[in-house]
Amino acid sequence: MPVATPLLLLLLLPFAGALATSMASRRVAGGLAIGLTAIGLVTTGLLATNALAEPLTSQFDWATFGQTPFNLSFRLDSLGLLMLGLVHLVALLVQIYSLSYLHDEPRQPRYFAYLQLFVGAMLGIVLAGNLLVLYIFWELVGLASFLLIGFYTDRPSASKAAMKAFLMNRVGDMGFLFGIFLTYIWTGSLDLDLATAAGPLPAVAGLCLFMGCVGKSAQFPLLTWLPDAMEGPTPVSALLHAATMVAAGIFLLARIHPLLNPDALVVISLIGTITTLWGGYSALFQTDIKKVLAFSTVSQLGLMVAGMGTGNVGGAMFHLLTHAFFKAGLFLSAGAVIHAVHTQDMRQMGGLRRAMPVTFAVYAICTAALAGLPFFSGFLSKEALIGGAFGWAAQQGGLAGLIPVLLLLSSGLTALYMARQLRLVFFGDYRQSTVPLSAIHDADWLMRGPMLLLAGLSVFVWFSVNPFSAHHSWFWTIMPPTEEPTLIWLAPVSIGLVLLGGWLGFRLREPAHDKGYVLLSVEYGFLDTIYKYIVIDPLLKLAALLNRTDQRAVDGVVNGAGVGTVVLAHLMSLTDRFGVDGIVNGAAWLAGRTGQLLRSVQNGRVQSYITAAVVGLLLVLWWVL
Amino acid sequence: MLLSLLIFIPLLSALLIALLPESQAGRFRWIALGVTLVEVVLAGLLAAGFDTNRSDYQWLERADWITLPLGNLGVVSIDYLVGVDGMNLPLVILSAVVMLVGVVSSWQPVATDRPPRLKAYYALYLLLTGTVMGCFVALDFFLFFLFFEFMLLPMYFLIGLWGGPRREYASIKFFLYTLAGSLLILLVMIGLYLSAMDPVSTAVLAGFVSDVSEVTPEVVRIVQGHMQNGQLNSAQIVHTFDMRYLADGANYLPSAFLNPAAEPIVLGLPARMLAFWAIFIGFAIKLPIVPLHTWLPDAHVEAPTPVSVVLAGVLLKIGGYGFLRIAWSFFPDGAAQYAPILAGLGALSIVYGGLNALAQYDLKKMIAYTSVSHMGFVLLGIASLTAEGVNGAIYQMVSHGVLSAMLFLLTGVVYDRTHDRRIDSYRGLIEPMPRYAVLTAIAFFGSLGLPGFSGFVGELFTLMGSFQSIWLPGWITAVSVLGIGLAAAYFLWTMQRMFFGRFWSRHEPTTTDAHHILTDLTTREQLLLIPLALLSLVLGLYPNLIFNVTNSTVGQWILRFTVE
Repeated sequence: MPVATPLLLLLLLPFAGALATSMASRRVAGGLAIGLTAIGLVTTGLLATNALAEPLTSQFDWATFGQTPFNLSFRLDSLGLLMLGLVHLVALLVQIYSLSYLHDEPRQPRYFAYLQLFVGAMLGIVLAGNLLVLYIFWELVGLASFLLIGFYTDRPSASKAAMKAFLMNRVGDMGFLFGIFLTYIWTGSLDLDLATAAGPLPAVAGLCLFMGCVGKSAQFPLLTWLPDAMEGPTPVSALLHAATMVAAGIFLLARIHPLLNPDALVVISLIGTITTLWGGYSALFQTDIKKVLAFSTVSQLGLMVAGMGTGNVGGAMFHLLTHAFFKAGLFLSAGAVIHAVHTQDMRQMGGLRRAMPVTFAVYAICTAALAGLPFFSGFLSKEALIGGAFGWAAQQGGLAGLIPVLLLLSSGLTALYMARQLRLVFFGDYRQSTVPLSAIHDADWLMRGPMLLLAGLSVFVWFSVNPFSAHHSWFWTIMPPTEEPTLIWLAPVSIGLVLLGGWLGFRLREPAHDKGYVLLSVEYGFLDTIYKYIVIDPLLKLAALLNRTDQRAVDGVVNGAGVGTVVLAHLMSLTDRFGVDGIVNGAAWLAGRTGQLLRSVQNGRVQSYITAAVVGLLLVLWWVL
Repeated sequence: MLLSLLIFIPLLSALLIALLPESQAGRFRWIALGVTLVEVVLAGLLAAGFDTNRSDYQWLERADWITLPLGNLGVVSIDYLVGVDGMNLPLVILSAVVMLVGVVSSWQPVATDRPPRLKAYYALYLLLTGTVMGCFVALDFFLFFLFFEFMLLPMYFLIGLWGGPRREYASIKFFLYTLAGSLLILLVMIGLYLSAMDPVSTAVLAGFVSDVSEVTPEVVRIVQGHMQNGQLNSAQIVHTFDMRYLADGANYLPSAFLNPAAEPIVLGLPARMLAFWAIFIGFAIKLPIVPLHTWLPDAHVEAPTPVSVVLAGVLLKIGGYGFLRIAWSFFPDGAAQYAPILAGLGALSIVYGGLNALAQYDLKKMIAYTSVSHMGFVLLGIASLTAEGVNGAIYQMVSHGVLSAMLFLLTGVVYDRTHDRRIDSYRGLIEPMPRYAVLTAIAFFGSLGLPGFSGFVGELFTLMGSFQSIWLPGWITAVSVLGIGLAAAYFLWTMQRMFFGRFWSRHEPTTTDAHHILTDLTTREQLLLIPLALLSLVLGLYPNLIFNVTNSTVGQWILRFTVE
C-alpha cells in the first residue's frame, strides 16, 4: 500500500460521509456520522503509533501551465497528526452530544452532513502540503461554518450571522489570497516546505497571509462575527467556533512561521495583544451565556496569536490544544444549561449548581483550566506562552516589554469574567419563573459523557506530570519549545492575578446596564457600529451612487447619442425639404434615410435601419477601397 | 467535415423549420432539441479527436470562396476556412451545451398575451446556434465577421419579439450598440486585409512553386523576404483575410498602413495602435467592458429566460474570444504596450460591476451586473499576457458560461411562477422551495468563487496571472481581488434576503394554504440545473480538463508578446 493511501482515505472519508449522511434517514444519519468520525480517529491513532520519521506526502496534478504545475499536495507530519487527533476527537464528542441535543430536530441528516463537511474541510487544512490546498480547504471550512451558523434558516438573526461570518472571513481571505500571490512571486513556490525554506519574506507578504488568520481566528479588527456566530446550534459553537475552526488561523501561523519577518511578527503580537484584551473586556458584562464564552474564545485566540508573534510557536500550539478541550467542555455544558432552562440569558439563571451538579462540576473544572489555575491544563499552556513572551520582550527591549505584561493582565481578566459567569449561572438564587427549578436536571448520558471526558482532558496529567511546569511535557517532542528564561516569579504572580480576578468576579455586584463602561463591553467597543458607519453604509451608498451614475451618466451618453442623431437627422431632413428644395442629390437622400433609420429607434422599425446600415457599410467599404 | 456539420446542420434546420407548415408547430421544439443534441455529440467528437499536445489548428477545412484579381491592388482572396485549437475548442463545447440547455428551457414558453410564434422562435434560435458556432470556428476574418454580424439578427428578434415590456428599446439598443462595435471591427478588417498577404497563394501566383502542395515553411520565408524587400510587384500579391497569416508580422507589406515596422501616425496615434483600440472597443462592447456595458442589463432584463441563458452563456464569450484570436493576435504590440490600461479596464469592470450588482433590486439585473464583473476577470487574465492569466481567462469564460446559464435559469424559475423578479418580493423561499434554494445556493457559491466549483479556478488563475505579469503593476491585482469580496457580498446578501427567514412573498403571504404558485422545481428544471451544477463541480475539481486543451495553444500564443 502506498504510504499516501491512508492520508487520502482519511480526507475523503468525511466528504463521502457528508454525501451519505445527507441522504440517510433521520434515524441513521447521526450514527453514520459518528461511526465515520470514529473510523477517522482510529486511523489517526494507527498512524500515530507508526512514528513518523518523515512526513507522508502525496500529490495530484490539478492545473498545469506549460512547465508550471499547480498540484494538490498533501502532507502529514507530527503537527498535522496532533491536529488530526484533536479535530477527530472533538468532532466525535460533539456529534455524540448532538444526538441528544438535537433530538427533536427534523433536519438531523442535514446537520450531520454539514458537520461531516466541516470535518473534511478541516482535515484538508491540516493535511495541506501547499498554500493553494490550504486556501481551498480554508474556504470550504468557511462554507461549513456558514451552513452551520445559519442552520436555523427561519431565524433571520441566524442567517444574518451566517452571512456576516462568511463576509468578514472573505475580507481576511482577500488579503490571504494576495499573500499567497506574494509568496509565490518571491519564493517561486507554494509548497509549504519549499516556500518556508526560503526564509522570511518582506513584512507585507507575511501580513497579507496573516490577514487570513485575522478573519478566521476572529482577531482585531475582524472579531465581531464570532459572537454573532453563536446563533448556530451550541454543539456547533463548541466544535467550530471554539475548538477547531477558529484555531485554523493559529495553525496557519504555525505553518507559515518561517516566512514571517521580525517586523511582521511585531505587528502580529500587537494584534494578538489587542485582541486578547478587547475580547476579555467585551466578555465582562455580557448577559448571554454563550456570548461570554465567545468573547473568551476571542481573547484566548488573541493570546495564541500574540504567542506566535513573540516567536513562541510551540507555546501557542500547546495552548491551542489545551484550549480546545476546556473551551469545548464549557460550550457543551453551556448547551446543557440552555437545554434545561430554555434561555441563554444569564439574568434568568442562578443557583443551578444543585439542580445540575454534573454540569456544574464540568463547568467549574473547565473554568479553572481556562482561568489558568494550577493542576489544570490551561495553567501549563499559559505559563509556556506568557513565559515565552517575557523572554522575547527581553530580547526586543523597549516597549515590547508591555506585551507580556498585558498578556499577563488579560489572564486576570479571564478569571474575572469567568467567575462572574459562574456566579450568575450556578450560584445565588434562581431567577426565572417560566421553567421551575424543580424541572431542571442534568442532561442525559449522551450529553454528559462528552462533557465529562472534556473536563477530564482539562486536567494537567495528560500534558505534564509536573502540575506547575510544562517543561517536561511530551508536547515538546512535536513542537520544540522556545528558549525561555526561568521566571520564578511568573507562576506566583499569575496565580495571584487569577485569584484576585476570581475573587472580584464573585464579589462585585452587577453595575447598571446603561453605564458607559458596561455598554462599551456589551457592544464590544462599538466595533459593529463603527463598521456600519464607515464601511457598510458608505459601501451601499457608493453602490447606489454608481448605479445611478450607470443609468444616468454612462447610459445617458448612450441614449443621448441616440437622441442626438435622431434630432440631427430631423434637421437634415428639414434642410433637405426646404433648403435643398427640388435637388435630389445623394447626400440628401442619405440624410433622409438616416432620418428614418434613427426614427426607428423610437418606433422599433428595424427594417429601415438595416437598409441604412447596409448602405452605410457599402459607403465605408467604398471609401476605404 | 465535423466543423462544417456543426455550422450547417443548425442553419439548414432553421431553414427547414421556416419551410414547414404551421400545422407542424408541435414538432419544432423536437427538431431544435434534436439538432442541439447532435451539436453536443459533434462537439464531443471534436474533443475526442483533438490532439492536446499540438498548438496549431486542427480539424482544418478550407475551400476557396471568393477570388478576385484587382490588378494593381493584388488579388482578393476570401476563403471558407474553419478550424479549432486550444482557444476555441472549449468555447465550441460550451456553446453546444448551452444551446441545448436553451432549447430545453424554451420547452414550455411563459404564458403571455402575445402569440407564441413557435416557428419563428425556433428558426431564429437555430440560426443563432449555427452563426455562433461559425463565429467560434471561422479562421478567415471575413467569414468570422459574416457570422459575427449575422448573429445579431436572430438575437435582435429573440429579444424584440419574445422579451419583456421594454423589449423594443432593449433590442434596438443591443443591436445598435453591437453594430457600432462591428463597424470599428470592419474598418480594421479592411485595413488588415490591405496590409497583409497570403504567402502561400502568393508563392504560387508569383511563380515560386507550381502548386500549393509544394509550399514549405522554407518557401514561405523566401516569399516573405522577397515581399519585404519590395521584390514582388503588387499584382502578384494575394491579399488575405486568413487569420493564420494576419497573425504573423512577416506577412505585412512594407509600405502598408498597418505594418508593424512602418507605423504611420493617424489622429495622433500610430495607425496600428488606433486599429488595436478600434478592434478592442468592438469586442469590448460584446464582452462587455465598463463603460461599454449598458446594453447588457437592459438586454438581460427584457430577454426571455432561454435567450438570457444563451446571451450570457455564449454570446458574451465571443468578445473574449475576439480579444484572443483577433485583437491580441494581430496587434501584439498594442496589447503589450497598453497592457496596464487594458488590465485596468478589467479591474474597473470587476469592481464597478460588483458594486452595481450590490445596488440592484431586480434579481435578473443583479445577475446581469455580475456578468460584467466576471467578464472583467477575462480581460484581466488576457491582458496579463501570462500562461496562467490567459489559460485562466479561457477557463473563466467556460466557467461563467455554465454558472451564468444556471443563474439565469434560476431567475427564470421565480419569474415563471409569479412574473416578479424583485428581490424584496420574497423572503424565506427555502420553506416552500427547498430544492430551488439548494440549487441557487450551489450556483451562488459557485459564482462567488468557492473552491470546488469552477468559478474559483478562473478567478484564481486570472488574478495570479495578472499579479505575476511583468507588464502589469501589482495594484491592479490588489484592486481586482476586491471583486471576490464583493461577489460574496452581493450573492450572500441576495440569498439571505430571498431564501432565509420566515416565508413571505408579495404573491402568497403565507404558506398555510397549499402552495399554488410558488411550487418547487419541476423535473424539467432539475434536469437542466443539476447537470450544470455537476459540470461546474467537475471542472472545479479537475481544472486540467480545460487546461489540458488550452495549454499548448496558449503557451505558443503568449510567445508573441516580447518586451521591447
